[in-house]
Amino acid sequence: MKIKIIIDKNAQEEVTVVAHCRTQLVKQIEQLVENSTKIFVGYKDGEAKKFSLVDVQCFFIEGGKVYANLSKEKLQLKSRLYEIESVVNDSFVRINQSCIANLQHVKKFSAVFNGTIMMTLKNGYSDYVARRELKNVKEKIKEIKL
Amino acid sequence: MKKHFKEFLLRGLIFAGFGPIVAAIVFFILQLSLSDGVALDGIQVFITILSTYVIAFIHAGSSVFHQVETWSPLKSAFLQLLALYLVYLVAYLLNSWLPFEPLVIVIFSVLFIVGYFVIWLTVFLLAKKESQNLNQKI
Repeated sequence: MKIKIIIDKNAQEEVTVVAHCRTQLVKQIEQLVENSTKIFVGYKDGEAKKFSLVDVQCFFIEGGKVYANLSKEKLQLKSRLYEIESVVNDSFVRINQSCIANLQHVKKFSAVFNGTIMMTLKNGYSDYVARRELKNVKEKIKEIKL
Repeated sequence: MKKHFKEFLLRGLIFAGFGPIVAAIVFFILQLSLSDGVALDGIQVFITILSTYVIAFIHAGSSVFHQVETWSPLKSAFLQLLALYLVYLVAYLLNSWLPFEPLVIVIFSVLFIVGYFVIWLTVFLLAKKESQNLNQKI
């Protein structure tokens, strides 16, 4: 596949993909563009910070508050977790009642003695995969790898 | 830790009622099988209902031990084993399901501990296989 990049400050920014079929590369480009263009605002120490979905390892609830877990910091959000779930793309999946993880940032899955499965993200954050969400997680992984 | 204690109480209270239900079914079957003129002892029925309630409460509540992030998996497993072992042992002795004899208690203890680890080892191995499958896909 050829790549053509046009740098023009006056033109409206867009990405066009011409492909014979919807391959994994096409899906990845699509997710990358979606993740990069959706801008969220989070708060830390009273300061508002902008971030895009591509930087998010996961969204989680801690102490009743919703946070976006970025590579090196966590930002508090004003939205509810279910509201975030409705706007994120296919690379995100709910893994339990209080966490939506970005499958692009998964480092590994591991078993815990009590029979649950832990998901560890690339920044070291880990959370358990609820049994009722396991099927959904497997399907999402399959989808994004197709 | 406070949220885990709340979760412990919540899970315990949700499932505690299942203990007496099982006891009631057992009593019903016992009553049917008892010959005429023989009845179940009221005090014994009371102790059984109460103890099966506590068993179910601890059984369900102790599952939260595995979600305490500050505890290692081994510590969680040990504390759950301890809680279950104590509640079962006391309940069995109170109900006279187990005679108060040292040898019997030792045999019960060994079987309980071995059974606990066999069950959880099986569950762990299944989860391990599942996690390995997931790792191959990512």
